[in-house]
Amino acid sequence: MTDPAPLVLAPPDAEERRRRRAGRFERIGRWAFPLAVVLLLLAAWDRIVVWNDIPPYVLPSPRLVIGTLATDWPVLLPALLVTLQITLLALLAAVLGGVGLAVLFTQSRLAEMSFYPYAVILQVTPLVAIAPLIFIYVGSKLAALLLCAWIVAFFPVLSNTTLGLRSADHNLQDLFRIYGATRWQRLRYLQAPAALPYFLGGLRIAGGLSLIGAVVAEYVAGTGGTGSGLAFRILEASYRLNIPRMFAALLLIALTGVAIYGALNLLSYMLLRKWHESAVRRER
Amino acid sequence: MTPAPAVTVEGSARLGQQPLFPPVSLRLGAGEWTCLLGPSGVGKSSLLRIIAGLETGIDFTGHVTTGDGAPLAGRIAYMAQSDLLFPWRSVTENVLLGAALRGTAPDRARARELIGRVGLTDHAGKRPAALSGGQRQRAALARTLMEDRPVILLDEPFSALDARNRAAMQSLAASLLAGRTVLLVTHDPAEAARLGHRILVIDEAGLREMPRPEMPPLRPVSDPATLEIQMALFAELGRGAE
Repeated sequence: MTDPAPLVLAPPDAEERRRRRAGRFERIGRWAFPLAVVLLLLAAWDRIVVWNDIPPYVLPSPRLVIGTLATDWPVLLPALLVTLQITLLALLAAVLGGVGLAVLFTQSRLAEMSFYPYAVILQVTPLVAIAPLIFIYVGSKLAALLLCAWIVAFFPVLSNTTLGLRSADHNLQDLFRIYGATRWQRLRYLQAPAALPYFLGGLRIAGGLSLIGAVVAEYVAGTGGTGSGLAFRILEASYRLNIPRMFAALLLIALTGVAIYGALNLLSYMLLRKWHESAVRRER
Repeated sequence: MTPAPAVTVEGSARLGQQPLFPPVSLRLGAGEWTCLLGPSGVGKSSLLRIIAGLETGIDFTGHVTTGDGAPLAGRIAYMAQSDLLFPWRSVTENVLLGAALRGTAPDRARARELIGRVGLTDHAGKRPAALSGGQRQRAALARTLMEDRPVILLDEPFSALDARNRAAMQSLAASLLAGRTVLLVTHDPAEAARLGHRILVIDEAGLREMPRPEMPPLRPVSDPATLEIQMALFAELGRGAE
């Protein structure tokens, strides 16, 4: 009836020491190794530029890129904020649209049959091919950029959430039927929590895609002036052969992508750590 | 709890073109444990699911009636081999699930008491992933008790447990579910021999009732009378295999 008493803690034996070493290696290695690779690459890059006397308009040294990032900050920061704004708004729209459509599709077979193919068509058509049309028909530039980024980002949310809503344990569905649960209760208490891990997986993909969508859309829009984002700054710098600024802007975009991924990963961990297999620490 | 009704299910079933079982009449005595014993794949779980009003995937022709004539909906609790706990809810929240679905105020004091009766007081705040298999089934039993339904359907709820935990769960369930109309579907003759007021065997040949045991459940595992029932059940199951 009662569980066996926990074993008395013995001093760590060889096996235990080996496991602890492996754990420490894993913990430190996770950030130390990528960092070491970056430092090595930067050093190699720097040496190649210096030793070969490569002019900065062909390949700037990493030091120059960092310096440009600092000196051009007044230009780059507003551009970064614009790109970030479009990315985050597009991600928000992707979540609302993706989850909304997924709920609609799982509640109504008719809606799914009617509209799912169009979601797929929208997803498989390259954005650069649709974007010029969008910029012609949508008057507001911000709205057009948002629409472009949304088209790229919403599908993983839709597809994963639909899968998740359908993946609720059949035995639990039986239990709900016996409890006389309504359709809404089944969605609220069973399907939605069961879909959460799937949704978060889709969200992580959508986070990166909304940034890509925003950047690609800016390229296609290609218009400058106030309120232009990082992609336009890269285009503009390339016309002026300002290669260091291109690198600096590129660096900012990459860092933004990593930050979004990290934030969504953290969100996923916080929401799932108590119960889902992907986050629960395995007892050995 | 409202008085436990007798439940009768009568009919025959086909799986596609194949007959699954010939016309049977399964009567659950009011306030009694009825054990339905049989090999896998002969439709014993399907019979239980028919009573529960769940989809079975088989063609069943027949009907379910109750001794008091009232419908069964809302009077059934269900436990299965998988614990049916919600992994994102703690033990307490799982026990309170029914209240959440009905939108009524949760009776936390009663939940605490029932969790104590199944011996999980120290684990009330944990998620199912942090519990052992036996603890999870005890949590499921606490939820079943919380719902306080007169008809209890048990679909091999103890079969995934080790021998010691299984015996402990059987004793606990027998004492806590006493006075209710219980259908226990199992493939374990020892379990049926311990728990059943009445024991029925189902296989391809149909449904057969075993002689009603004299000693009331819960019967001690090693009592000669229990072992005798168990032997008879083994023989009956073997007869069907020949």
